[in-house]
Amino acid sequence: MPDVAADSAASASCGELVPFVPDTEISVVYPLHHGLKPPISRVSISWARGNNLRVSLLRNPPSNSDSDGEIGGKVVEVNLDSGAADVREPAQWRRIAYGSVTPFALLQSRKNSASILSKLQSSPSPFHLDWWEYVMEYSKDIKELLGNPKSNYNPLIEDPKEVLKKGEEPTSLKAAWELMEMFYADKLCQSWLPERLVDWLADYDCLLSGDQPAVHSKLVEFQGTLVTLQVIEDDPKYWEVISSALAVGWLEIVVKLLRLHGSYQLDQIGPRETENGLVETVAVLISMMPRMRPELKNGKLGECFKAKPDFMKAWEKWREQITKLDSSAFWVLCDHHQTREGLKNLIQIMLGNTRILCTATSHWIELYISHFLFIRPFTVGFESMYNLAQKCIKMKPMSSPHKLLRLIIGIIGENTEVVLAECSRGFGPWMVTHAIELLTARSDQADILLHKEHDDIGGISMEELHRLVYAQVLTSHFLTWQIAPVYLTSCMRQGMSLLEVLLYRQPAQHNQLLLKNLEICRLYELDHVSSNIMKIAGVYHWKHGRKGLGVFWLQQARDEFLLNKIAQQLFDSVGKSISGESFKQWEGLIELLGSESKPAGSLEFLHKYRDFKKLLQQVCERKTPDAARHAADLLMLLMKNPSTPQRFWLPLLYDSLTLLSWQGRPLLNVSQTNLLLNKLQELSMASLRPGIVATDLPAEALDSVRLALATNLGRAILEEQ
Amino acid sequence: MARTNLTEPPKIHRIPQPKFIDAIRWLPSPSPFRKSFISSLFDSDFHTPSLEIHSLDPSKTLTTPLFSWTPPSRISSLKSTPSLFAASTLLGSLHIFKTPEEMSVLGNDMSGLGGETAVMEPVVSVVGREFHVGSIGGVDLMEGGSECVSVGEDGRVNLVVEKGGFRRVFDGNGLVSYSAVKWASPSEFVTGGCGFGLQWWDLRQPGAAVAQFKGSWDHGTTSGIIHSIDIHPSRKHTCLAGGSSGTVFAWDLRRQQEPIILSSIGSSDTMTQPLSESEVWEVQYDHYTKSLNSNISSSRILPAMICSEDGILAVIEQGEEPTELLAEPCAINSFDIDRQNPSDVICSLEWESIVILSRP
Repeated sequence: MPDVAADSAASASCGELVPFVPDTEISVVYPLHHGLKPPISRVSISWARGNNLRVSLLRNPPSNSDSDGEIGGKVVEVNLDSGAADVREPAQWRRIAYGSVTPFALLQSRKNSASILSKLQSSPSPFHLDWWEYVMEYSKDIKELLGNPKSNYNPLIEDPKEVLKKGEEPTSLKAAWELMEMFYADKLCQSWLPERLVDWLADYDCLLSGDQPAVHSKLVEFQGTLVTLQVIEDDPKYWEVISSALAVGWLEIVVKLLRLHGSYQLDQIGPRETENGLVETVAVLISMMPRMRPELKNGKLGECFKAKPDFMKAWEKWREQITKLDSSAFWVLCDHHQTREGLKNLIQIMLGNTRILCTATSHWIELYISHFLFIRPFTVGFESMYNLAQKCIKMKPMSSPHKLLRLIIGIIGENTEVVLAECSRGFGPWMVTHAIELLTARSDQADILLHKEHDDIGGISMEELHRLVYAQVLTSHFLTWQIAPVYLTSCMRQGMSLLEVLLYRQPAQHNQLLLKNLEICRLYELDHVSSNIMKIAGVYHWKHGRKGLGVFWLQQARDEFLLNKIAQQLFDSVGKSISGESFKQWEGLIELLGSESKPAGSLEFLHKYRDFKKLLQQVCERKTPDAARHAADLLMLLMKNPSTPQRFWLPLLYDSLTLLSWQGRPLLNVSQTNLLLNKLQELSMASLRPGIVATDLPAEALDSVRLALATNLGRAILEEQ
Repeated sequence: MARTNLTEPPKIHRIPQPKFIDAIRWLPSPSPFRKSFISSLFDSDFHTPSLEIHSLDPSKTLTTPLFSWTPPSRISSLKSTPSLFAASTLLGSLHIFKTPEEMSVLGNDMSGLGGETAVMEPVVSVVGREFHVGSIGGVDLMEGGSECVSVGEDGRVNLVVEKGGFRRVFDGNGLVSYSAVKWASPSEFVTGGCGFGLQWWDLRQPGAAVAQFKGSWDHGTTSGIIHSIDIHPSRKHTCLAGGSSGTVFAWDLRRQQEPIILSSIGSSDTMTQPLSESEVWEVQYDHYTKSLNSNISSSRILPAMICSEDGILAVIEQGEEPTELLAEPCAINSFDIDRQNPSDVICSLEWESIVILSRP
């Protein structure tokens, strides 16, 4: 793919479809650091492994011979951003990938045993009664991974002016996970979902500020100016921030801010007694707000009610108190204008005034939350939640909604496909693969949808498709490919065949990596794959001159065919070098060939040949009849063995001339000698045929062996008579 | 079966690293509160290997890089002594460094360096096809001495001296491959390779190994590769080896044909239930674990620690149940027991993290 031609005027006239205008502002999407000196004449782009683009940059070859010493080109790999933007570092991604393996595998094995159990009991549902509890356990493990480990900030002394506490830095990945957990998996929070959403927004509101500032960012901004403010209640920002915080239910922040009010200062409390009383009353009322939830985290304000009737009673009473305060006579006595207006505003928020709630919040989700808190605390069921959301979106439309907000709409719209699409688009394949477990935790409908087999994608289900996609991402990186098998083996249809492909694709050069590869084969009982991999490794090492390693791997693979093939090559060098000193070099390889039980093909011969040679050496040195007899037996074994190559017959016999002409009694009997003579005859016949390898033995070798054999035959006949 | 001296579980600290760790070793440190270690790393994002010295803060939760060096390729083997450490590469080069204490850059205070990572340089580098062709399987530095032995896939056994330069001990011409080596005495060392083979070499008898061991006790058709060898300073006639298929055995020179099997799947001995069925990447005698058996005869194998591909770090002893120290979901590729304080163990995990164990 050549780069954009620089000469735009010329190309415009050539009738191109979209005119390329170089003077329009070009925004840099990704700066490429290649370190080459301009000009670059050619650029080529192709896909590399996984999410990487390979960009090859070439300079013009230097025209003059004395080049500037620059390299002529460079290949750069560009990693395309995968998934959530807030997990930017690849190392952090890998940590999530590594960490999610164990929970995922545990859940899968539980699922398998549960389905076996349900089959035994012939119950229609594959799920155990409290399956969601297992899913929650899994979800808890995953959530731990998604947290940001870097931001652990705990001040020893609390700053009285610090309104917002710094906790763990939130990530949208974790935010999305929590959303799906609360809606799909956590059965316990179903009765207080609205309040659960309030908590969620409190944790993740800061992620939402994009083109429009969210309540959190307003608070952060105000926090910055707080130190410099002299009279805090004169600042309209102060009241604005308080009402915003109240609208989204951050009661402890509201109360803390209210208590920063100037009327609390000791020198002012006298003249501003009424004003202070009103501020305090509002603060107390806020901190007493009834909440429809089982419990509140430490430091959070409100009164919890588990049962609906109790909550109703408390809610009515609370509203009554607010209305009473609203119509109180004390307001007239309060002569600080901003305080009076600000407090009245807060009362309106608590009474659920839609218009004021709308101005106090900025994103529709904030308005949505304020509806739950102050207008419709009993919203239950997806339908009414969805309708309310639609209403809020109408009041606060957004041009490009945040991915988390799109996800929420998908969830409360009860549209599993949309949820999956949003997960995949916004958070990447990791998210989809792991979140599917949440989606199917309690919903049979999602379960059917995700497990339905689609013929147009090769008969696999949506669940399998997403797992395969994620496994593909894992295999594209050489550090994570080892965990891909966990996901591939959970895919019933195509997982195993893809796993085989993956295993074959791994490099075989280094033994350590090869052994890791073979370990995976062993775990998944892929014996045929492992033997093929060992063959590949064996041939690779053989070709690179590491004969020992080559033979070792081929032996492991039990590949007699290849072993026989390379044996022929080996024998060529053996014939020449296996004598005296150089024996020591062969020692290691021959040891490796080992016992007879190991498959060695015709290489087995080498072992026996070595033993025979050793024995022969002993015979020559010591001349003991026992050793000589033993050597003669071995010679017969070697000569009878079909795996002994023909080309070794003559050298063997020539070496054993001392045995054939042994002083004293002959070592070979008549039939043995006849057998050897036959072999010799066979050999001399064969030597007439073309293509026989000439040995480097002296020319008279054949004759001297024949003579020795004939003599021996004569002596043996005499002996036997 | 719980060991009496390990009633309390060890304290475990996990420290994620942004790079893959090929091997890890403790370094001698002037103070027990400021420990340091050397690790050979591989950055997967830039495909660059590095050799780095890190210091460990007293809480054992944070590591700070002090020195770094970029080797020509990935490190295949890393060994250290109190004064030197040696690293060999997959491309067949060997590099010897002085430990930071020896370099006397640090003095007594490791924190005096500021935030910068300094570059260290090897005192000896041996490269070239004359030395090794292809990956070096193992290196070992002589304790207290200056000679370093290296063995490779090419079947060569070389001796590198501290002044630079090397001497060929043996050239196997690729007919054999070696994957591990360990000094037994200033003139003897043991190598290991394919087929569970061990070779005992004596520099006073050059030309070939003085003794060979061929591991064929299993009489099966599978065999394996020796990955690691250790020799106890008080029992120089016995070497401990670990390799494929969870195999850990000891080879006593005095009884050459009778290996003492500590763990193996092929073993017919029912008592030795294999601790692991996958590769045993490293073995080291564990000076910290006291032998349970009061009868410490010289033929008894002392307790040893192993790490394996299936994520197990354990102490094994002849005739006793093994004690698992760690069971990880991923491979433990390397570990080292601190010489100064043998209760501390550092190990590197496949999933880009290190684990530090402090035994009670």
